[in-house]
Amino acid sequence: MIIRSAFSRWFLTLCVPCVALLVVGRQVYLSMHYGLSAWKGGGMGMFAAADELSNRYAKVFLVQSDGNRDPLVQLTPDDFDVLNRALEYPTRENFRRAAKQIASENWIPAFQRRPLLKVNGKGEPMHAEEKAFRVMVASPLQPEKPETNGIEIQFWKLTYDPHTRHMHGSLAETFVFSPDELFRPRATRNNS
Amino acid sequence: MTNASSTRSAAITGRSSGAGSVTGIRAVVEFARNLDLIQTVSLLTLVLTVIFSFDHWLFHIISRTCFLIFILRPSSLRRPQFWFALALAGTITIILAWEQVDNHKYLLVYWTWVLFVLHLFSQPDQQKRILLFNARFFLCLIFLAASGQKLSSPSYRSGAMFEYYLYVDPRFAAFGKLIGIHPAVGDAVSRQMHFLRSPFADVDGNDIHIQGSDRARVAALAMTWWDVSLQLLIGALLLFRRRRTDGIAHVLLLFFIFTTYIPAPVFGFGWIVAIMGFTLAKNKFPKIAGVYILCFFAILIYQLPWRDWVLAM
Repeated sequence: MIIRSAFSRWFLTLCVPCVALLVVGRQVYLSMHYGLSAWKGGGMGMFAAADELSNRYAKVFLVQSDGNRDPLVQLTPDDFDVLNRALEYPTRENFRRAAKQIASENWIPAFQRRPLLKVNGKGEPMHAEEKAFRVMVASPLQPEKPETNGIEIQFWKLTYDPHTRHMHGSLAETFVFSPDELFRPRATRNNS
Repeated sequence: MTNASSTRSAAITGRSSGAGSVTGIRAVVEFARNLDLIQTVSLLTLVLTVIFSFDHWLFHIISRTCFLIFILRPSSLRRPQFWFALALAGTITIILAWEQVDNHKYLLVYWTWVLFVLHLFSQPDQQKRILLFNARFFLCLIFLAASGQKLSSPSYRSGAMFEYYLYVDPRFAAFGKLIGIHPAVGDAVSRQMHFLRSPFADVDGNDIHIQGSDRARVAALAMTWWDVSLQLLIGALLLFRRRRTDGIAHVLLLFFIFTTYIPAPVFGFGWIVAIMGFTLAKNKFPKIAGVYILCFFAILIYQLPWRDWVLAM
């Protein structure tokens, strides 16, 4: 192909670098204002911050219609995939997508209840508390009443202080999604 | 007598092995000098797309198909359509999960678009100019933007990031062991962290004092400042576009590639940075270009399961 015009030559030479600069600028902006991980999204910040899945985690709860909350830990690989995506870019919309995926499973309580374990500041288990949660498992069977449970996702961040050698978990945000938000189509929600 | 003759034969062997290694280096330099720049860069990029690319079925199919086409018809590497297919597949793969794609994978896609653009031109001079411009641009962008992001990050500057990864990232466990951090330290930290993450545990103040090691702290600080100063220097030196500064930048870049990818298994990034370095060195610094050729082999060798061997010791 013969490209004669000087403008075309310059345009073709510069187009990829210009796109790269725009993507880097966007990544830095989203990282600063919307919590996008420094490792992802097209910047150059890999190994620039302890700020990715090893430092970000979620605690997911199934919220029953009576207000009871049961933690969900036995998530499927698909659930983890969409949840990790939300952890990398923690917007409400991304967490809603994750909640929708998790809520689509048929969660049923296992027989035993699991007590809350008290852990001291050295990371040693001390004793079981009176409070206990039901252990929920995803059943392959179809749910009988599918649309009554909401989902709560707590988004946590871990920070490490090298001077005191303390690892601190802090709750960054809590997202609560009602059954209405999870199961009814958006258009129907907007009309009502 | 026996000692004298054995000393003499050892000297001769040493001299001949020395002469052999000099001949070997010369052969590599000569080999690098005789390579066609565009052809070599295209082939190295194609190899990169096949072995260190996206973990997505679309890109797998396209990159392997392109590789097969190249095997059957090597001239296909010079066709813009060939690179358009790879660049488009990469772009679609990124768009599908842009917030989950590692930063260096974007770089691969930019580079395939650069190869597409340069193959639109028919004159080798123009192709070379585009390739050289983009290689320099991206090396400067990668290293200067990375150092900017690192220096502006408090967890990087304090050394917390590398110390944290030395404890919790399994990819660093073998390297940690080599520098004297026992894997048991990392295992203990991971166990402690598990309590923070679990909804079935109530940790006092969500705060845990971890059993770290002083060695990890020193190693993390050394890694932090070694990494950012090297990156800052490479990026800044390449801005000057002078022979002397370029020469120093190449030596630093090679040092960076040879040393970084032992602990950090981000081989795709190492490979693409080496392609860009080779592009800039090929005509101006044939000896350095020869070393770049060797570093592609080093990156492949680094993939030996040495981490498992070290951890099993």
